[in-house]
Amino acid sequence: MTLHADTGAPGLPHPDLVAAIPRLRRYARVLTGDAVRADDLVQDTLARAWEKRRLWRSGSDLRAWLFTIMHNVHVNQLALARRDAANVSIDADPGNPAWQLPVRANQLDRVELLELVALIGRLSPDQREVLLLAAVEELRYDEIANVLAIPIGTVMSRLSRARDKLRRLSVEPASALRVVK
Amino acid sequence: MNPAHPTPIPDADVHAYADGQLAPDRLARVEAALASDTGLAARLAAIRAQNLALRDALDPVLAEPIPDQLLAAATAPASHAAGLRRWLAPAFAVAATLVVGIAVGWFGRDALIERAGTPTTFARQAAFAHALYAADVNRPVEVWASEEKRLVTWLTKRLGFAVHAPDLNSVGYSLVGGRLVAGNENPTALFMYENADKQRLSLQVRKQAPGTGETAFRYAVENGVGVFYWIDDACGYAISGSVDRTQLLKIAHVVYGQLAAFEGAATK
Repeated sequence: MTLHADTGAPGLPHPDLVAAIPRLRRYARVLTGDAVRADDLVQDTLARAWEKRRLWRSGSDLRAWLFTIMHNVHVNQLALARRDAANVSIDADPGNPAWQLPVRANQLDRVELLELVALIGRLSPDQREVLLLAAVEELRYDEIANVLAIPIGTVMSRLSRARDKLRRLSVEPASALRVVK
Repeated sequence: MNPAHPTPIPDADVHAYADGQLAPDRLARVEAALASDTGLAARLAAIRAQNLALRDALDPVLAEPIPDQLLAAATAPASHAAGLRRWLAPAFAVAATLVVGIAVGWFGRDALIERAGTPTTFARQAAFAHALYAADVNRPVEVWASEEKRLVTWLTKRLGFAVHAPDLNSVGYSLVGGRLVAGNENPTALFMYENADKQRLSLQVRKQAPGTGETAFRYAVENGVGVFYWIDDACGYAISGSVDRTQLLKIAHVVYGQLAAFEGAATK
């Protein structure tokens, strides 16, 4: 996906950004564990993208660039939240029952998918992120390393742990699934 | 290396192989090991199955409609508008070859933006024609939707280029029919649509040379009628209606996408 000579018309949504929104929303929901905060994160990400538009190299991967911005905005927001002692960031506790399913129950036709999605909430935020980018968005490992600003080796070890944990959780007997609708 | 106990494949390579990202020079080793190591094969199958399940589970998010505030966020902030004009300086004014399809920018092949101070003639004419015919209960159109083929053939002949009526059922509007409108020197095709609340919308199409002083993409309101209009490939398009700007923009989006798809199909 590329941005054609940045032909955004004033007053109209830029079609290349609009095309990226669904994937941004999905990533944001996995990051924040909350559908409302996810859309706020997407909004903040797009605002930052406009501010930083000159840094985007025409012809490079727009989606990866936007993901990088989203990751950074999220990290900054978490840092700000931690500074306020009264705020308990949802992401600080991966087992948080407030974790919202990224997808609504009625959108999935198989129960085991619903359960899988609920289990994602029990991974750590770092693990969730890598798993989404590798398994679902199918970014290359070096692209993921750029998005998350970590070495490729760290991408691999987090991915491995994420997959192992998810697999173990899904075979746990009577796993304490809290499916929050 | 003892062939009876080969060095195990590194964990990272297993994942990379499952994801189709293993470096070519390392592929052979994994494939050789697969021949005899059922444990390895099972691990790979498990990773791939998990990948598929994750995609199945999370893809529905992609199908959700986009909330208005995110469409707004995808719009250049007003404070940037003036900067955009400078930024879209001669280097970008060279008409880029546009791939017809959903990735096409809102401009046609003419990438120049011109911000006129007053609404253009096209918008005013479109709003006027819409108001005139939409208000007509009995005869808003000359040819009804039941004869859509005849309508399209007639309008195509009169305009001198292929026109068609986009399908707006996805946004709740059905085709009422169409007519020819006398505007300026160019005959204009008008397609009228209606929703369940009997609110009407029109799409007007006419030949329009770019760079005649008419702007490329604009929104204007004329006497309570909102109009989104643009020029693409020497055709002018105007969507008019009394609905709010956000709604009208959504509809313009759908129309544009269909026109692009139509054009794409026609040139195949």
